[in-house]
Amino acid sequence: MATRMDDEMVHDYKYVPEDFMKHLMSTLGIIVVLVLILSAVFGVPEKPPLTIKGYATNRPVSFEAVATRDLNGQGDIANYGPPYNNGTGYVESDLQKISGIWHPINAEQDFILKPLSMAASIDPSISPALRTFESASRAQQIVWANNYEKALSAHGRYAGGKVVVPAGNYGPVPTLINATLRLGKSGLMSGSLTRNPNVTTRFNNQNYLLFLQGQPLHKAAAPLQLLGEQWGIIHGAVPGYPAAWWMTIPTWIYQWPFVASSPAADAIALSIGFAFWLALALTPWIPGWNRVPRYLGVYKLIWKDFYYNRAKAQKESEKRGIS
Amino acid sequence: MANWTTTARKASSAVLSVDTWLPETMPEYAQGFMYMLGSLTASSFVALIISGVILAANGPATWSYNGPMRFAAATHFWSVQAFFFFMMLHLWRVFFTGAWRGGRRETWLLGAVALIIAIPTAFTGFLINGDFYSQWNAVQAKDGLNALGLGWVNLPNAGQMFGMHVVVMPLVLSVIIFGHIVRVRMKGVVPPYPDHKVNDVKEGQ
Repeated sequence: MATRMDDEMVHDYKYVPEDFMKHLMSTLGIIVVLVLILSAVFGVPEKPPLTIKGYATNRPVSFEAVATRDLNGQGDIANYGPPYNNGTGYVESDLQKISGIWHPINAEQDFILKPLSMAASIDPSISPALRTFESASRAQQIVWANNYEKALSAHGRYAGGKVVVPAGNYGPVPTLINATLRLGKSGLMSGSLTRNPNVTTRFNNQNYLLFLQGQPLHKAAAPLQLLGEQWGIIHGAVPGYPAAWWMTIPTWIYQWPFVASSPAADAIALSIGFAFWLALALTPWIPGWNRVPRYLGVYKLIWKDFYYNRAKAQKESEKRGIS
Repeated sequence: MANWTTTARKASSAVLSVDTWLPETMPEYAQGFMYMLGSLTASSFVALIISGVILAANGPATWSYNGPMRFAAATHFWSVQAFFFFMMLHLWRVFFTGAWRGGRRETWLLGAVALIIAIPTAFTGFLINGDFYSQWNAVQAKDGLNALGLGWVNLPNAGQMFGMHVVVMPLVLSVIIFGHIVRVRMKGVVPPYPDHKVNDVKEGQ
């Protein structure tokens, strides 16, 4: 049968004795020693996380702005869209819309008002403000929160344990948001965000992480070179340590101008990355591409000894034939 | 249809044979460091499973307050670095030697599937670590999955990621790696290209 060029190979090779078990044990031994040495010398890279407590303590004004955006529906998660809610801020594809709301989040309730109603049981001074806010119309709530958000960004400053802004039409919002700041600074907000009244286990820390979505995490990630445009994922959070460097190709795709500037950057980058993988996986079936290694000739180096021994044996047998 | 038991016996007798798993000879061309890369990758996977079992048995976040567990976490971290490092070298070797030739296409495909499954397997591990890297990547990467309509995979949920990383992903990856190795052992490693010049051969000859 004719041999296709992408399928040609030598057939007249010999088998030589080999201790396969020793081979396997040797490679395992190499890995175990290597890993133990690296672990003993370098340990494991751990960058302390950005905690809600830390963020509230170190950036009280920004913390209040983040919390206020959860009240007026402008926050990253408040306006995200599926799988969390019906927002529109992060909807990249129809697939995302069709997949539906798997993990419902009402940022206003879940991130701010429910934690505050728990806090109110130990600090009753929160209750009147909470009642005023909850009994107001949605439009009124938004007006108050919008005014307060604007005032925070223009004039907000931290003084005497709370954030102060010039007088304005904010309703009960400053009281509520300053109470949220106190809750955040106390470290108790984490418990109120990860609560689940149905079970006592606390496996799901989704709301804790998502409360910090957007500016808080971005500000912390930028100096560590972890942002997407800084080739984030392939960088470790602790300088000098390797991270997920095997994601270099998808990370590179994210840098392509038309991908980076697209509102659907994630969907496009991951789809192109998948196409790259598909080309790799289907290499044997892709005409031309499956012959590339033959043309590249790197195999000559890999099988250098084999070809050398073969040529030598051939010469010797020719000599014997002549003599 | 043929007898199912007979068919299963036939398939098993080859897969389970000592000749498949414990060969005493190897082709003369399959020698040296280049032919250790696959075994080094598989050995790294063994190291990952051993260190992973120790971590799982002690529970999440024990590394954060217990010295020996921190060392176990370090071995898991360096094992995954070794795993991908040797897998990439192995990938280069098999690519440059056209390792899909001679009825070995499915072996290549299974290896490629192992590569793409290994990525989320490792990633879910980073996510349950609880440090800043894990926190940042959980929140960032979720947008990609959500955009592709895979929102049920909730990266910021450490509980779901724990199940994914400790059970689901390693189980899937183990099955694929096993399939890959079974095919490597049964088909053998690809013989060299013929040593005449490329131009001497035309397609179809």
